[in-house]
Amino acid sequence: MRMLASAIALAIAAPASAQSLAIVHAEAWTMEGDTPVHDATILVDGSRILSVKAGGEVPAGVRTIDAQGKPVTPGLVNGATQIGLVEISGSDDTVDTASRDERNAGDDVSRALNGNSTLVSLARADGITRALVYPSPSRHAPFSGEPAFARLRDGVDILDVANVGVYAVIGGGAWDRLGSRAVQWSALRHALEEARRGMDDGDAGRKGKKGHGDGPPGGGRHAGAELIRGVLAGEVPLAVQTHRESDIRQAVALAEDFGIRVIVVGGAQAWRAADALAKAKVAVVLDPLVNLPFNFDQLGARQDNAALLVKAGVRVAVGQAGGAIHANYNAGMGLREGAGIAVANGLPYIEALRAVTVNPLAIWGRGGGALTPGADADLVVWDGDPLEPSTNAVSVIVEGREASTRSRQDLLAERYRDAR
Amino acid sequence: MRNRAGLAAVLTAVFALAAPAGAQRAAPLPWQEDPFPSRYQTPPPDDMLLRGATILDGAGGRIDGGDVLIRGGKIAAVGKGLANPGVREVDAAGRWVTPGVIDVHSHDGTFVLPLTSIDREASDVSEVASPNSADTWIETAVNAQDMAFDRALSNGVTTIQILPGSTPIFAGHSVVVKPVRAPTVWGMKATGGVQGFKMACGENPKSWGADDDNEGPTSRQGVVTYMRQQFLNARRYKRAVEQARAGTGAMPPRDLKLEALAGILSGDIRVNVHCYRAGDIAAVLTIAREFGFRVGAIHHATEAYKIPGLLREAGTCAAVWADWWGFKLEAQDAVRAEAPLLERAGVCVMMHSDSPADGQRLNIAAAKAAAAGRRIGIDTPPETMIKWTTSNPAKLLGLDKRIGTIAPGYQADVVLWSGDPFSVYSRADLVLIDGAVAWDRARPPSRPVSDFELGRGGVEP
Repeated sequence: MRMLASAIALAIAAPASAQSLAIVHAEAWTMEGDTPVHDATILVDGSRILSVKAGGEVPAGVRTIDAQGKPVTPGLVNGATQIGLVEISGSDDTVDTASRDERNAGDDVSRALNGNSTLVSLARADGITRALVYPSPSRHAPFSGEPAFARLRDGVDILDVANVGVYAVIGGGAWDRLGSRAVQWSALRHALEEARRGMDDGDAGRKGKKGHGDGPPGGGRHAGAELIRGVLAGEVPLAVQTHRESDIRQAVALAEDFGIRVIVVGGAQAWRAADALAKAKVAVVLDPLVNLPFNFDQLGARQDNAALLVKAGVRVAVGQAGGAIHANYNAGMGLREGAGIAVANGLPYIEALRAVTVNPLAIWGRGGGALTPGADADLVVWDGDPLEPSTNAVSVIVEGREASTRSRQDLLAERYRDAR
Repeated sequence: MRNRAGLAAVLTAVFALAAPAGAQRAAPLPWQEDPFPSRYQTPPPDDMLLRGATILDGAGGRIDGGDVLIRGGKIAAVGKGLANPGVREVDAAGRWVTPGVIDVHSHDGTFVLPLTSIDREASDVSEVASPNSADTWIETAVNAQDMAFDRALSNGVTTIQILPGSTPIFAGHSVVVKPVRAPTVWGMKATGGVQGFKMACGENPKSWGADDDNEGPTSRQGVVTYMRQQFLNARRYKRAVEQARAGTGAMPPRDLKLEALAGILSGDIRVNVHCYRAGDIAAVLTIAREFGFRVGAIHHATEAYKIPGLLREAGTCAAVWADWWGFKLEAQDAVRAEAPLLERAGVCVMMHSDSPADGQRLNIAAAKAAAAGRRIGIDTPPETMIKWTTSNPAKLLGLDKRIGTIAPGYQADVVLWSGDPFSVYSRADLVLIDGAVAWDRARPPSRPVSDFELGRGGVEP
C-alpha cells in the first residue's frame, strides 16, 4: 500500500518538477565546445540530462549539489580495460579474461562482468562511469572475443552493451598460437572472407549501416562468427591490438580492403603511421603513459603518441590494453593520469578530455557521453582538474543517481586512520 | 675509452698515496670491502644561480621566490635575494626547485625492456639457484644501456637503488647509481652511502620454493625459519672472523654468503625487505631484534599502515606505492593513502617504484597518495610530500648528508621543474647531478641516448 501511495505521489509531483537532480555553480565541460560553461546549472531528469545553462535556475524541491565552481565532466570512459573480469590477477581462479574453448572463437565477456568487484568500485570512485571491457587472446588466434561496455552503476549488474565489436591481437611472440604475424594476418583475413562468402550466399540482409548511438552496436548479433558478419555489415568495429608500424599499416590495409571499421588498440608505433590512420579513419585506443617498449613491437613508444595522432586527424581514446600488471587496478586513476601526461606532451586539454569521454564511446560505436540535453546523465563533480592525479571525484552520478564513491581502500584507510 | 683508462690510473695513484693514512685504522673486515669499486667521475660543474623559484628543500622547508646558488658541484647557498657571484643566472620565476628524485627500489638494468624470450628463460633480476643468494652483487648484471635510465633522468630522477628481485629469501647486494651515460654500471655507481641488501618474505619466495624443481621453503613459517637459521650461521661465522682478527682463533675459510649476512649483523650492510602483510613485517622486525640489527626499510609494506608503531620503534622506514594493489592475495589490503597515514604516525616513509615506468613519476605517486589522504581527512603539504621522494630515501641509502636536501654543502642533485612537481603537467626543465646539467629540456639530445635505441628503425622519426 505504501509503495502504491508513493507511486501516486511521484506521479503527481512529476509535472511540477521533472528534474530529479541539479548541480549548480559548475565549471561544466560539456564536450560540445572547446571551453567550459562557467557557473553552470546542470539539471538531470531521471537518467537523462535536461539542460546545462550558465546561471540556470533550479526548480524548487530538487536535490542540489553545489560544485563550488569546480569542474564537472561527463563520467569518464576507459577505452580498453578488463575491470569486471579480474579480481586477483595472480590467482587464476578469480580471473575471467580469456576463453580456453577449442571449439568456438567467441567470448562474450558480458556474461562474466562482476559489478561487485573491488576494481570496479575503485574505478568508479576515481570518476569512471563506463568502460570498454575486452577479452584476452583465445585459442582461436588471432581472435580474443567480443568486448562489452560496462556501466559502473552500483550493484552487480554493470552491463551497458554487449558484443560491441570483435577483438583480435596480432604481433610478435605469438608462437604458442599461430606463430609468424604473417599467418596471424592471413587467418584474420581468411575469417573475414569466409564470413563475406556466407553473407553473399543469402545472408546479406543486414547491410544497412547504423549511425552511432541508435540501436545496439552489434545490430543484435551475438558473439563468435556471427559478429564477424556484423563487422562486414558495418555494425561493429574490428579491434586489432597491435603495436608495430608494419602491423598498423596492415590494419589500415585491412580496413580499406574490406571496407570495415578498424580500431587499433595499443599502437605504440601508431605515431609513425598517423597520416595513413587518419586517411583510413582508423581510430586508436592507446595508453599515453607508455614510453618504454615492453617488447620489440613497441620500440619507439613515446608519450606524445596521442598528440601526434590527433594533430594528424586521428580519433584517439585512452585505454590500458595489455598494460602493466597493475593496469586494471587503476582503470580510473591510470586513465586520468594518462590523459594528463598526454597533455603534458602536447595534446590540447580539450582533446584529452574527449579522449576519456566522447571518443571511446564513438570509437566503439556506442556514441553519447557529452553533457547535452537528452544525453545519459553520467557525470562527475571534481574537487579540481580531473586530469590531475591529485584531484578527487566528489560526486559520481551514473544514470542520474549518485553512486557510491567509497572504495574498500577508503574503508580500510579510515579503519586504521588513528593507528599508532 | 683511453681517457677513462687514464683517469682510472690517476685515481689508483691517488688511492695509493692515501693508503698510509688509511693504514692507521684496522684493516676492513671482509664484508666492509667493495669488490666492485665505482668508476664514476664527477662531471665538470655547471655553476648557476636559480632565481626566484618556489623551493621545496626536501627536508620539510619551503621558500617562495627563493634562489639556489650552485657552485663547484655543490649547493653553495639557498635563500632570498642571493648575490650572483658571476655565474649563469636562470630565471626560475613560476617554476619549482626540489632535490633530485631518489628511487630506492628499481630493477633498471636487469629487468630491461624490451623483454625477450631469454628474460623468461633466465632473468637477471635475481639469482634463483638457491633461496640464499646473499653472495650476489646485482651490479654485475646491470646493463648500463637500459633506456630506462634515460627516461628516469629526463623525469628528474638523480639516484636509483637497483635491488635484486624478491624470489630468493636472501636476494643479494644492491647498487646505487646515477642515471648518467657510461659504458658500464661502474661508471654510474654512487659512493658514500651504506651498502644495501635485499631480502624477501611472503608469497614470492614461498611460491618459488613450492615448485618441485626449486630449492627452498614452501610456506611463510618456512621462510621465517630459514632466515633465522641463516642468521644463526652468520653469527657464528662473524664471531670466528672477529676472534681471528683479534688473534684468538683461526680465520675461517671465506664464505661469500656468510660474509654478507655477517655484514648485516654488524650493521655494515643495510637490509631492505620485501614484505606485504602486517604479520610478515612484524615477523621480520622480530628477527632483526633477535639478531641485533636494524632493518633499513620494509619495501612495498602494503599493510604497514596497520602497524606503524612497530616500524617507528624499530627505526625502520617504509618504501611504498600509491597504486599497486590487489594483483596478488597479499596485496589485497593496500591503500592509496598509505604514505600520509604513515607520515602522520611518525614513520619514515618514501615512495618507491619497482618499475621503470612508475619510477619516472614518483612525485605523481606522492600526489595520488596525498589526495587519498585528503579523502580521510589527512592533509599533507607539498613540503612534506617531497620528503617521500628525496630526503627520506636518502636516509635509507645512508646518503642523507650528501643528497636529498637543498642546503649548503650538499651535492647539487637538483631539479628545476616547469611548475608544481606534484602536477601531471610539470616537466623537468633542468636536472643537475653533482652540479652539472645532466638533462636540459630546452636542448633535448638529437639522437637516442642509449646505445640500444640508436639507429633502430621505429624509434627515430
